[in-house]
Amino acid sequence: MNHRNNLFVTPDVKISEIILNNPYSLLMLEHLGLELAVKDKTVEQVCLENTIGVDLFLTFANLFNGTVPSGNEEYSFKDIQTIIRYLQKEHLYYLDEMYPGILSYIEEMNAVNNHAEIIMVEKFFDEYFNEVKEHLNYENEVVFPYIISLYNKLNTTETKNFSINYSASEYQEHHSNIEEKLTDLKNLLIKYLPQKNDQQIRRKMLFSLFELEYDLNIHTQIENSILIPLVKHLEKHLKLKNEK
Amino acid sequence: MKNKKFNIVIAEPSCIIFEGLSGILGRQNGLQFIIHKADGLSELSQIIQSISVDFVLINPVLVQNQTKLFYSIKKLLPEAYWIAIAYSLFDQQLMSQFDSVITVNDSPSQIADLLAKLLNSRTGAEKEIQTGTLSDRETEVLKLLVTGNSNREIAEKLFISPHTVITHRKNISQKTGIKSVSGLTIFAVVNNIIELDKLNG
Repeated sequence: MNHRNNLFVTPDVKISEIILNNPYSLLMLEHLGLELAVKDKTVEQVCLENTIGVDLFLTFANLFNGTVPSGNEEYSFKDIQTIIRYLQKEHLYYLDEMYPGILSYIEEMNAVNNHAEIIMVEKFFDEYFNEVKEHLNYENEVVFPYIISLYNKLNTTETKNFSINYSASEYQEHHSNIEEKLTDLKNLLIKYLPQKNDQQIRRKMLFSLFELEYDLNIHTQIENSILIPLVKHLEKHLKLKNEK
Repeated sequence: MKNKKFNIVIAEPSCIIFEGLSGILGRQNGLQFIIHKADGLSELSQIIQSISVDFVLINPVLVQNQTKLFYSIKKLLPEAYWIAIAYSLFDQQLMSQFDSVITVNDSPSQIADLLAKLLNSRTGAEKEIQTGTLSDRETEVLKLLVTGNSNREIAEKLFISPHTVITHRKNISQKTGIKSVSGLTIFAVVNNIIELDKLNG
């Protein structure tokens, strides 16, 4: 899926180098709200210009290259804002671009290859897309507002209690379901569904599925190994602040 | 399986060694690792509860005085490879507990080769499962599954225990690469295991 992704990103590495080494990193830039025509700017410069924590950027970039954070990185509460913005952009990419795109490939497939099984795939994907929407809406409407309100409490002297109304484990299960069906679809397309006039469409669709899978995988890791621990830390911090 | 990411736990008290090893593993061409850090055996035993671990790289010092705990964790992870990170000599009996040894003087490519070799020895066995088609029993389970039966109902109808049903389902998913029931339904239709009009809905 990803060739030559052996670059270990440090603050003085050029952004262009990161992309040339692993094109999937383009997704990271986009989700971070960074634009192309990056000239010869380094990670450190771009982070400074866009007020993104360098440690956080490095973690993201290295996650894209397959290295999981060691747990010793130092994030600040400010990073929470960047992470939420990143995840929100990612959601738009899923909902407005990737899933509708894959759906239209399936429709194209249906048009040229009218096997009953292909119609079943459309139904399969429809149902799956609905599950994904449900999960993303849950994050948009419950999880993110909760985290943002927590973050805003940092700067107020408010001592009102806050409640924790989401669970990390429920969260993780959602994710594994989303990735599981994607794998199912890939295997069906590669191994089983009869092919008729649809080789190109199928290839395009598979590339989209690989891209989506790549991004989803990192999405999960960002939430599980960076965001959730950081939020737990913030919860503790606020609790202590309130007790004073 | 090529794009599989392998879970690797590094149990190593030295930060220098840990970071060094993670760096080396992260920069590998080919094999991809998700690296987890454990400071000791008890943390290791927590990690294995939430993820399926493929490799444990562990400093034998952490094992030395806690062999009982070590054995019990090892038992819980029969599939994982245990590799000692040695930077001095340890006694033979202790070292014989590991599948292999990395020493601090090994080059990055030696480490990569070692992990790849261990993996190949396992995927050889896995391949056997993967090339096989579904057995008669598995086909029966699949049929019942995609026509809307729960694990318990399948167990009752085939006079087997629910636990056996789960094992069959695991094997089906492993052979086909498909886990969800709706995905398996499509598989069953494509392979004429079930006719389309027999499906509800």
